[in-house]
Amino acid sequence: MKYGYFPGCSLLSTATEYARSGEGVLNLLGIEVEEIDDWVCCGATAAHATNHLLAVALPAISCSASEKQGLDVLTYCTACYSRLKQSNQVLKDSPELLQQINEIIEEEYRASERVLHIAEVLARDIGLEAIKAKVKKPLKGLKVACYYGCLIARLPEKLRIDSGECPTMIDDLMRAVGAEPLDWPFKTECCGAGLTLARQDVVVRLSGEIIEIAKENGADVLAVACPLCQANLDMYQANAEGKTGKQLGLPVLYFTQLMALAMGLGPEMLKLEKVIVDPMPVLVEKGLIDRGVYL
Amino acid sequence: MRWDITEKALHSEFLRTVEQRSGENVSSCYQCGKCSGGCPVVADIELTPNRIIRMVQLGLEGNVLRSETVWCCAACGTCNGRCPIGIDIVHIMDVLREMALERRVVPPPGAAEVLMFYRSFLDCVKEFGRLNEIALMGSYNINSWHLFCNVMKAPWFIFKSKITIAPHKIKQIDRLKRAFERIEELERKK
Repeated sequence: MKYGYFPGCSLLSTATEYARSGEGVLNLLGIEVEEIDDWVCCGATAAHATNHLLAVALPAISCSASEKQGLDVLTYCTACYSRLKQSNQVLKDSPELLQQINEIIEEEYRASERVLHIAEVLARDIGLEAIKAKVKKPLKGLKVACYYGCLIARLPEKLRIDSGECPTMIDDLMRAVGAEPLDWPFKTECCGAGLTLARQDVVVRLSGEIIEIAKENGADVLAVACPLCQANLDMYQANAEGKTGKQLGLPVLYFTQLMALAMGLGPEMLKLEKVIVDPMPVLVEKGLIDRGVYL
Repeated sequence: MRWDITEKALHSEFLRTVEQRSGENVSSCYQCGKCSGGCPVVADIELTPNRIIRMVQLGLEGNVLRSETVWCCAACGTCNGRCPIGIDIVHIMDVLREMALERRVVPPPGAAEVLMFYRSFLDCVKEFGRLNEIALMGSYNINSWHLFCNVMKAPWFIFKSKITIAPHKIKQIDRLKRAFERIEELERKK
Protein backbone atom coordinates (compact mmCIF):
# COMPACT_ATOMS: atom_id res chain seq x y z
CA MET A 1 0.00 0.00 0.00
CA LYS A 2 1.22 3.48 -0.86
CA TYR A 3 -0.21 6.88 0.08
CA GLY A 4 0.29 10.53 -0.85
CA TYR A 5 1.63 12.08 2.33
CA PHE A 6 0.31 15.52 3.28
CA PRO A 7 2.41 16.54 6.33
CA GLY A 8 0.73 19.88 7.01
CA CYS A 9 2.62 22.82 8.51
CA SER A 10 2.64 21.72 12.17
CA LEU A 11 4.36 18.43 11.41
CA LEU A 12 7.36 20.39 10.16
CA SER A 13 7.77 22.29 13.43
CA THR A 14 5.69 21.95 16.60
CA ALA A 15 4.70 18.34 15.88
CA THR A 16 7.80 16.63 14.49
CA GLU A 17 7.30 13.90 17.10
CA TYR A 18 3.95 13.07 15.46
CA ALA A 19 5.64 12.91 12.05
CA ARG A 20 8.56 10.74 13.20
CA SER A 21 6.56 8.29 15.29
CA GLY A 22 3.88 7.94 12.60
CA GLU A 23 6.51 7.39 9.96
CA GLY A 24 8.15 4.72 12.12
CA VAL A 25 4.90 2.87 12.71
CA LEU A 26 3.87 2.96 9.03
CA ASN A 27 7.34 1.75 8.00
CA LEU A 28 7.18 -1.20 10.35
CA LEU A 29 3.82 -2.15 8.91
CA GLY A 30 5.17 -2.07 5.38
CA ILE A 31 3.34 1.06 4.26
CA GLU A 32 4.99 3.31 1.71
CA VAL A 33 4.39 7.05 1.59
CA GLU A 34 5.36 9.63 -0.98
CA GLU A 35 5.13 13.31 -0.07
CA ILE A 36 2.58 15.25 -2.12
CA ASP A 37 4.53 17.40 -4.53
CA ASP A 38 4.66 21.07 -3.47
CA TRP A 39 1.72 20.76 -1.08
CA VAL A 40 0.18 23.95 0.31
CA CYS A 41 -1.16 24.82 3.79
CA CYS A 42 -4.83 23.79 4.12
CA GLY A 43 -5.75 27.25 5.44
CA ALA A 44 -7.26 25.71 8.59
CA THR A 45 -9.87 27.74 10.49
CA ALA A 46 -8.33 31.03 9.36
CA ALA A 47 -9.42 30.38 5.78
CA HIS A 48 -12.87 28.87 6.29
CA ALA A 49 -13.73 31.47 8.92
CA THR A 50 -13.06 34.37 6.61
CA ASN A 51 -13.25 33.33 2.96
CA HIS A 52 -15.05 30.33 1.51
CA LEU A 53 -13.18 30.40 -1.83
CA LEU A 54 -9.80 30.36 -0.13
CA ALA A 55 -11.00 27.58 2.17
CA VAL A 56 -11.62 25.38 -0.87
CA ALA A 57 -8.83 26.60 -3.15
CA LEU A 58 -5.94 25.91 -0.74
CA PRO A 59 -6.80 22.22 -0.11
CA ALA A 60 -7.69 21.80 -3.80
CA ILE A 61 -4.09 22.48 -4.86
CA SER A 62 -2.75 19.66 -2.67
CA CYS A 63 -5.51 17.12 -3.36
CA SER A 64 -5.13 17.64 -7.08
CA ALA A 65 -1.34 17.19 -6.84
CA SER A 66 -1.81 13.92 -4.97
CA GLU A 67 -4.24 12.64 -7.59
CA LYS A 68 -1.68 13.44 -10.27
CA GLN A 69 0.75 11.23 -8.38
CA GLY A 70 -1.99 8.56 -8.44
CA LEU A 71 -2.18 8.36 -4.66
CA ASP A 72 -4.81 8.65 -1.92
CA VAL A 73 -4.17 11.51 0.49
CA LEU A 74 -2.79 10.60 3.93
CA THR A 75 -2.97 13.28 6.65
CA TYR A 76 -1.91 13.34 10.31
CA CYS A 77 -3.27 16.67 11.53
CA THR A 78 -7.03 16.50 12.02
CA ALA A 79 -7.51 20.08 10.84
CA CYS A 80 -5.78 19.33 7.53
CA TYR A 81 -7.78 16.11 7.33
CA SER A 82 -11.08 17.89 7.87
CA ARG A 83 -10.32 20.71 5.43
CA LEU A 84 -8.94 18.50 2.65
CA LYS A 85 -11.74 15.97 2.92
CA GLN A 86 -14.54 18.54 3.00
CA SER A 87 -13.12 20.67 0.22
CA ASN A 88 -12.58 17.60 -1.98
CA GLN A 89 -16.21 16.59 -1.43
CA VAL A 90 -17.62 20.06 -2.06
CA LEU A 91 -15.80 20.17 -5.41
CA LYS A 92 -17.24 16.78 -6.36
CA ASP A 93 -20.74 18.02 -5.51
CA SER A 94 -20.70 21.51 -7.02
CA PRO A 95 -19.78 21.95 -10.71
CA GLU A 96 -20.14 25.75 -10.51
CA LEU A 97 -17.71 26.07 -7.64
CA LEU A 98 -15.38 23.62 -9.40
CA GLN A 99 -15.22 25.87 -12.44
CA GLN A 100 -14.46 28.90 -10.31
CA ILE A 101 -11.73 27.02 -8.40
CA ASN A 102 -10.17 25.77 -11.65
CA GLU A 103 -9.72 29.38 -12.72
CA ILE A 104 -8.31 30.38 -9.36
CA ILE A 105 -5.75 27.57 -9.10
CA GLU A 106 -4.89 27.61 -12.83
CA GLU A 107 -5.53 23.93 -13.45
CA GLU A 108 -8.28 21.38 -13.96
CA TYR A 109 -8.99 20.09 -10.48
CA ARG A 110 -8.57 16.36 -10.15
CA ALA A 111 -10.54 15.12 -7.18
CA SER A 112 -8.85 12.74 -4.77
CA GLU A 113 -10.28 9.27 -4.59
CA ARG A 114 -9.89 9.16 -0.81
CA VAL A 115 -8.65 11.57 1.87
CA LEU A 116 -7.54 9.58 4.91
CA HIS A 117 -6.41 10.20 8.47
CA ILE A 118 -3.51 8.14 9.78
CA ALA A 119 -5.71 6.59 12.51
CA GLU A 120 -8.10 5.41 9.82
CA VAL A 121 -5.26 3.97 7.72
CA LEU A 122 -3.92 2.08 10.73
CA ALA A 123 -7.24 0.84 12.10
CA ARG A 124 -9.04 0.12 8.82
CA ASP A 125 -6.64 -0.23 5.87
CA ILE A 126 -3.95 -2.09 7.81
CA GLY A 127 -6.14 -3.58 10.51
CA LEU A 128 -5.75 -4.36 14.19
CA GLU A 129 -4.49 -7.92 13.71
CA ALA A 130 -1.50 -6.80 11.63
CA ILE A 131 -0.73 -4.18 14.31
CA LYS A 132 -0.95 -6.71 17.16
CA ALA A 133 1.53 -8.91 15.27
CA LYS A 134 4.14 -6.12 15.38
CA VAL A 135 3.87 -5.35 19.10
CA LYS A 136 7.11 -6.12 20.96
CA LYS A 137 6.43 -4.44 24.29
CA PRO A 138 2.71 -4.32 25.10
CA LEU A 139 1.77 -1.16 27.04
CA LYS A 140 0.47 -3.27 29.89
CA GLY A 141 -1.20 -1.40 32.71
CA LEU A 142 -1.04 1.99 30.98
CA LYS A 143 -4.38 3.76 31.32
CA VAL A 144 -4.87 5.91 28.23
CA ALA A 145 -7.58 8.53 27.82
CA CYS A 146 -8.04 8.77 24.04
CA TYR A 147 -8.87 12.30 23.01
CA TYR A 148 -10.22 12.77 19.49
CA GLY A 149 -11.02 16.47 19.58
CA CYS A 150 -13.58 17.97 17.28
CA LEU A 151 -12.39 17.59 13.77
CA ILE A 152 -12.39 13.83 13.22
CA ALA A 153 -15.65 13.41 15.08
CA ARG A 154 -17.68 16.24 13.63
CA LEU A 155 -17.33 15.97 9.90
CA PRO A 156 -20.62 16.15 8.01
CA GLU A 157 -22.41 12.83 8.48
CA LYS A 158 -21.68 11.34 5.08
CA LEU A 159 -17.94 11.94 5.46
CA ARG A 160 -17.68 10.73 9.05
CA ILE A 161 -15.52 7.68 9.74
CA ASP A 162 -16.42 7.12 13.39
CA SER A 163 -19.13 8.04 15.89
CA GLY A 164 -19.60 11.79 16.32
CA GLU A 165 -20.14 11.62 20.09
CA CYS A 166 -18.19 8.53 21.15
CA PRO A 167 -15.54 7.54 18.61
CA THR A 168 -13.56 4.36 19.30
CA MET A 169 -10.98 4.08 16.53
CA ILE A 170 -7.98 5.27 18.57
CA ASP A 171 -9.22 3.26 21.59
CA ASP A 172 -9.06 0.16 19.35
CA LEU A 173 -5.51 1.02 18.33
CA MET A 174 -4.48 1.52 21.95
CA ARG A 175 -6.03 -1.81 22.93
CA ALA A 176 -4.20 -3.47 20.03
CA VAL A 177 -0.86 -2.33 21.45
CA GLY A 178 -1.75 -3.61 24.90
CA ALA A 179 -2.77 -0.38 26.65
CA GLU A 180 -5.96 0.12 28.59
CA PRO A 181 -8.18 2.75 26.92
CA LEU A 182 -10.51 4.47 29.35
CA ASP A 183 -14.23 4.97 29.04
CA TRP A 184 -14.39 8.69 29.75
CA PRO A 185 -16.77 11.51 28.76
CA PHE A 186 -14.55 14.22 27.24
CA LYS A 187 -13.31 12.38 24.13
CA THR A 188 -14.70 14.96 21.75
CA GLU A 189 -14.87 18.12 23.87
CA CYS A 190 -13.24 21.14 22.21
CA CYS A 191 -9.81 22.29 23.47
CA GLY A 192 -10.32 25.83 22.14
CA ALA A 193 -8.42 25.12 18.94
CA GLY A 194 -7.51 28.13 16.81
CA LEU A 195 -8.43 30.62 19.54
CA THR A 196 -5.09 29.68 21.10
CA LEU A 197 -3.38 33.08 20.76
CA ALA A 198 -6.32 35.44 20.37
CA ARG A 199 -8.49 34.12 23.22
CA GLN A 200 -6.12 32.39 25.56
CA ASP A 201 -8.64 32.74 28.40
CA VAL A 202 -11.07 30.47 26.57
CA VAL A 203 -8.41 27.92 25.62
CA VAL A 204 -6.96 27.68 29.14
CA ARG A 205 -10.42 27.03 30.58
CA LEU A 206 -11.41 24.40 27.99
CA SER A 207 -8.08 22.57 27.91
CA GLY A 208 -7.85 22.62 31.70
CA GLU A 209 -11.26 20.98 32.01
CA ILE A 210 -10.32 18.19 29.61
CA ILE A 211 -7.12 17.39 31.54
CA GLU A 212 -8.99 17.54 34.85
CA ILE A 213 -11.70 15.09 33.72
CA ALA A 214 -9.10 12.73 32.23
CA LYS A 215 -7.24 12.71 35.55
CA GLU A 216 -10.43 12.15 37.54
CA ASN A 217 -11.08 9.12 35.37
CA GLY A 218 -7.69 7.69 36.26
CA ALA A 219 -5.70 8.46 33.10
CA ASP A 220 -1.92 7.95 33.10
CA VAL A 221 -1.57 9.73 29.76
CA LEU A 222 -3.75 11.43 27.20
CA ALA A 223 -3.47 10.18 23.58
CA VAL A 224 -4.21 12.79 20.90
CA ALA A 225 -4.37 12.94 17.11
CA CYS A 226 -4.09 16.67 16.40
CA PRO A 227 -1.05 18.99 16.74
CA LEU A 228 -3.12 21.95 17.91
CA CYS A 229 -4.92 19.86 20.55
CA GLN A 230 -1.53 18.58 21.70
CA ALA A 231 -0.10 22.08 21.97
CA ASN A 232 -3.13 23.51 23.80
CA LEU A 233 -3.54 20.59 26.19
CA ASP A 234 0.18 20.26 26.95
CA MET A 235 1.26 23.90 27.05
CA TYR A 236 -1.53 25.47 29.08
CA GLN A 237 -1.67 23.04 32.00
CA ALA A 238 0.36 25.38 34.19
CA ASN A 239 -1.95 28.31 33.32
CA ALA A 240 -5.00 26.19 34.14
CA GLU A 241 -3.46 25.14 37.44
CA GLY A 242 -2.91 28.81 38.27
CA LYS A 243 -6.55 29.58 37.59
CA THR A 244 -8.28 26.68 39.31
CA GLY A 245 -5.69 25.77 41.95
CA LYS A 246 -6.07 22.11 41.01
CA GLN A 247 -2.96 20.09 40.31
CA LEU A 248 -2.88 18.76 36.77
CA GLY A 249 0.35 17.47 35.17
CA LEU A 250 -0.91 14.85 32.73
CA PRO A 251 1.41 13.92 29.83
CA VAL A 252 -0.18 14.52 26.42
CA LEU A 253 1.24 12.21 23.74
CA TYR A 254 0.36 11.48 20.14
CA PHE A 255 -1.26 8.06 19.80
CA THR A 256 1.46 7.22 17.27
CA GLN A 257 4.14 7.79 19.93
CA LEU A 258 2.47 5.19 22.14
CA MET A 259 2.18 2.77 19.21
CA ALA A 260 5.83 3.33 18.33
CA LEU A 261 6.80 2.66 21.95
CA ALA A 262 4.91 -0.64 21.94
CA MET A 263 6.50 -1.62 18.64
CA GLY A 264 9.97 -1.15 20.13
CA LEU A 265 11.05 1.93 18.19
CA GLY A 266 13.90 3.99 19.63
CA PRO A 267 14.06 7.46 21.20
CA GLU A 268 14.86 9.17 17.90
CA MET A 269 11.50 8.00 16.52
CA LEU A 270 9.53 8.60 19.75
CA LYS A 271 10.91 12.06 20.51
CA LEU A 272 9.36 12.00 23.97
CA GLU A 273 11.60 14.88 25.03
CA LYS A 274 9.51 17.30 22.97
CA VAL A 275 6.49 16.95 25.22
CA ILE A 276 6.26 19.67 27.88
CA VAL A 277 4.61 17.70 30.71
CA ASP A 278 7.28 15.02 31.14
CA PRO A 279 5.93 11.55 30.30
CA MET A 280 9.08 9.77 31.59
CA PRO A 281 8.05 9.29 35.24
CA VAL A 282 4.83 7.47 34.43
CA LEU A 283 6.36 5.42 31.60
CA VAL A 284 9.29 4.38 33.81
CA GLU A 285 6.94 3.58 36.69
CA LYS A 286 4.90 1.29 34.44
CA GLY A 287 8.10 -0.41 33.30
CA LEU A 288 7.61 0.67 29.70
CA ILE A 289 10.79 2.65 29.30
CA ASP A 290 14.33 2.12 30.40
CA ARG A 291 15.36 5.56 31.59
CA GLY A 292 19.00 4.75 30.76
CA VAL A 293 18.19 4.71 27.06
CA TYR A 294 17.04 8.30 27.25
CA LEU A 295 19.83 9.81 29.32
CA MET B 1 -30.98 41.95 26.81
CA ARG B 2 -33.52 43.74 24.66
CA TRP B 3 -33.75 44.31 20.95
CA ASP B 4 -36.34 46.20 19.00
CA ILE B 5 -37.80 43.98 16.35
CA THR B 6 -39.03 46.31 13.68
CA GLU B 7 -41.29 45.72 10.73
CA LYS B 8 -38.38 46.81 8.56
CA ALA B 9 -36.00 44.22 10.03
CA LEU B 10 -38.58 41.45 9.72
CA HIS B 11 -38.98 42.16 6.02
CA SER B 12 -35.31 42.77 5.32
CA GLU B 13 -33.20 40.65 3.01
CA PHE B 14 -30.92 39.48 5.81
CA LEU B 15 -32.51 36.09 6.50
CA ARG B 16 -32.83 35.29 2.80
CA THR B 17 -29.24 36.32 2.10
CA VAL B 18 -27.89 34.12 4.91
CA GLU B 19 -30.00 31.18 3.70
CA GLN B 20 -28.96 31.65 0.11
CA ARG B 21 -25.24 31.98 0.81
CA SER B 22 -25.10 29.12 3.29
CA GLY B 23 -27.58 26.84 1.56
CA GLU B 24 -29.04 26.18 5.02
CA ASN B 25 -32.68 26.41 6.00
CA VAL B 26 -32.30 28.85 8.90
CA SER B 27 -36.08 29.40 9.05
CA SER B 28 -36.64 25.78 10.09
CA CYS B 29 -34.88 26.21 13.48
CA TYR B 30 -37.46 25.77 16.27
CA GLN B 31 -35.16 26.81 19.13
CA CYS B 32 -34.60 23.50 20.91
CA GLY B 33 -31.30 24.94 22.16
CA LYS B 34 -29.18 21.78 21.77
CA CYS B 35 -26.55 23.76 19.85
CA SER B 36 -26.00 26.05 22.81
CA GLY B 37 -26.19 23.17 25.29
CA GLY B 38 -23.05 21.68 23.74
CA CYS B 39 -21.25 24.86 22.69
CA PRO B 40 -17.85 25.04 24.43
CA VAL B 41 -17.58 28.83 24.35
CA VAL B 42 -21.02 29.81 25.72
CA ALA B 43 -19.46 30.70 29.05
CA ASP B 44 -17.35 33.34 27.31
CA ILE B 45 -19.88 34.97 25.00
CA GLU B 46 -22.99 37.05 25.39
CA LEU B 47 -25.13 35.58 22.63
CA THR B 48 -25.54 31.79 22.42
CA PRO B 49 -25.70 30.10 19.00
CA ASN B 50 -29.47 29.49 19.17
CA ARG B 51 -29.98 33.19 19.90
CA ILE B 52 -27.89 34.13 16.90
CA ILE B 53 -30.05 31.87 14.72
CA ARG B 54 -33.24 33.42 16.12
CA MET B 55 -31.86 36.90 15.52
CA VAL B 56 -31.08 35.98 11.91
CA GLN B 57 -34.69 34.84 11.55
CA LEU B 58 -35.85 38.19 12.92
CA GLY B 59 -33.61 40.18 10.59
CA LEU B 60 -31.46 41.74 13.32
CA GLU B 61 -28.52 42.15 10.98
CA GLY B 62 -26.51 44.80 12.84
CA ASN B 63 -26.74 43.05 16.21
CA VAL B 64 -25.70 39.72 14.71
CA LEU B 65 -22.78 41.00 12.66
CA ARG B 66 -21.48 43.11 15.55
CA SER B 67 -21.62 40.24 18.05
CA GLU B 68 -18.62 38.63 19.68
CA THR B 69 -20.17 35.22 19.10
CA VAL B 70 -19.55 35.02 15.37
CA TRP B 71 -15.83 35.58 15.96
CA CYS B 72 -15.42 33.49 19.10
CA CYS B 73 -16.99 30.40 17.56
CA ALA B 74 -14.15 27.85 17.58
CA ALA B 75 -15.77 25.96 14.67
CA CYS B 76 -15.68 22.74 16.71
CA GLY B 77 -18.98 21.58 15.17
CA THR B 78 -20.65 20.25 18.34
CA CYS B 79 -23.74 22.27 17.39
CA ASN B 80 -23.84 20.67 13.94
CA GLY B 81 -23.57 17.19 15.38
CA ARG B 82 -26.44 17.78 17.78
CA CYS B 83 -28.88 19.83 15.71
CA PRO B 84 -31.97 17.59 15.34
CA ILE B 85 -32.78 19.02 11.93
CA GLY B 86 -29.24 19.01 10.64
CA ILE B 87 -28.55 22.72 10.22
CA ASP B 88 -24.86 23.36 9.50
CA ILE B 89 -24.41 26.12 12.08
CA VAL B 90 -20.62 26.30 11.60
CA HIS B 91 -21.22 27.13 7.96
CA ILE B 92 -23.75 29.81 8.94
CA MET B 93 -21.13 31.34 11.27
CA ASP B 94 -18.65 31.33 8.35
CA VAL B 95 -21.19 33.18 6.21
CA LEU B 96 -21.91 35.70 8.98
CA ARG B 97 -18.20 36.43 9.40
CA GLU B 98 -17.81 36.90 5.66
CA MET B 99 -20.78 39.28 5.64
CA ALA B 100 -19.36 41.21 8.59
CA LEU B 101 -16.07 41.63 6.71
CA GLU B 102 -17.78 42.67 3.47
CA ARG B 103 -19.90 45.25 5.30
CA ARG B 104 -16.77 46.44 7.14
CA VAL B 105 -18.34 45.90 10.55
CA VAL B 106 -15.81 46.65 13.28
CA PRO B 107 -15.45 43.55 15.46
CA PRO B 108 -16.23 44.09 19.17
CA PRO B 109 -13.51 43.84 21.85
CA GLY B 110 -12.52 40.22 22.39
CA ALA B 111 -13.21 39.45 18.75
CA ALA B 112 -10.83 41.86 17.01
CA GLU B 113 -7.86 39.73 18.10
CA VAL B 114 -9.41 36.65 16.54
CA LEU B 115 -9.73 38.39 13.19
CA MET B 116 -6.18 39.71 13.54
CA PHE B 117 -4.92 36.19 14.16
CA TYR B 118 -6.70 34.83 11.08
CA ARG B 119 -5.27 37.66 8.97
CA SER B 120 -1.72 37.09 10.24
CA PHE B 121 -2.15 33.37 9.53
CA LEU B 122 -3.30 33.90 5.94
CA ASP B 123 -0.64 36.57 5.26
CA CYS B 124 1.97 33.99 6.18
CA VAL B 125 0.41 31.35 3.91
CA LYS B 126 0.29 33.84 1.04
CA GLU B 127 3.97 34.66 1.53
CA PHE B 128 5.37 31.15 1.93
CA GLY B 129 2.60 28.70 0.92
CA ARG B 130 2.98 27.15 4.35
CA LEU B 131 2.60 28.36 7.88
CA ASN B 132 5.66 29.21 9.89
CA GLU B 133 4.68 29.34 13.53
CA ILE B 134 7.40 31.81 14.50
CA ALA B 135 6.44 34.20 11.71
CA LEU B 136 2.79 33.82 12.71
CA MET B 137 3.38 34.54 16.38
CA GLY B 138 5.60 37.49 15.58
CA SER B 139 3.23 39.09 13.14
CA TYR B 140 0.22 38.43 15.37
CA ASN B 141 1.93 39.95 18.39
CA ILE B 142 2.88 43.04 16.42
CA ASN B 143 -0.46 43.49 14.66
CA SER B 144 -2.48 43.00 17.83
CA TRP B 145 -0.09 44.98 20.06
CA HIS B 146 0.05 41.95 22.35
CA LEU B 147 3.80 42.12 22.12
CA PHE B 148 4.45 39.69 24.93
CA CYS B 149 1.73 37.15 24.16
CA ASN B 150 3.19 33.70 24.91
CA VAL B 151 6.66 35.12 25.48
CA MET B 152 6.73 33.13 28.71
CA LYS B 153 6.38 30.00 26.62
CA ALA B 154 9.37 30.90 24.43
CA PRO B 155 11.94 28.81 26.36
CA TRP B 156 9.79 25.73 25.79
CA PHE B 157 9.54 26.42 22.11
CA ILE B 158 13.30 26.69 21.86
CA PHE B 159 14.43 23.95 24.23
CA LYS B 160 11.81 21.51 23.05
CA SER B 161 12.81 22.35 19.46
CA LYS B 162 9.21 22.94 18.63
CA ILE B 163 9.92 25.52 16.01
CA THR B 164 11.97 25.76 12.89
CA ILE B 165 13.45 29.16 12.23
CA ALA B 166 13.79 28.82 8.45
CA PRO B 167 10.42 29.16 6.80
CA HIS B 168 9.42 26.47 4.32
CA LYS B 169 8.55 28.06 1.01
CA ILE B 170 6.74 26.15 -1.71
CA LYS B 171 8.09 26.03 -5.28
CA GLN B 172 5.00 27.38 -7.02
CA ILE B 173 4.61 30.38 -4.74
CA ASP B 174 3.85 32.71 -7.66
CA ARG B 175 0.86 30.65 -8.72
CA LEU B 176 -0.39 30.68 -5.13
CA LYS B 177 -0.02 34.45 -4.89
CA ARG B 178 -2.03 34.83 -8.09
CA ALA B 179 -4.72 32.58 -6.61
CA PHE B 180 -4.89 34.80 -3.51
CA GLU B 181 -5.07 37.91 -5.70
CA ARG B 182 -7.88 36.49 -7.82
CA ILE B 183 -9.88 35.73 -4.70
CA GLU B 184 -9.19 39.20 -3.28
CA GLU B 185 -10.33 40.69 -6.59
CA LEU B 186 -13.61 38.72 -6.44
CA GLU B 187 -14.15 39.96 -2.88
CA ARG B 188 -13.68 43.57 -3.92
CA LYS B 189 -16.37 43.20 -6.60
CA LYS B 190 -18.97 42.11 -4.03
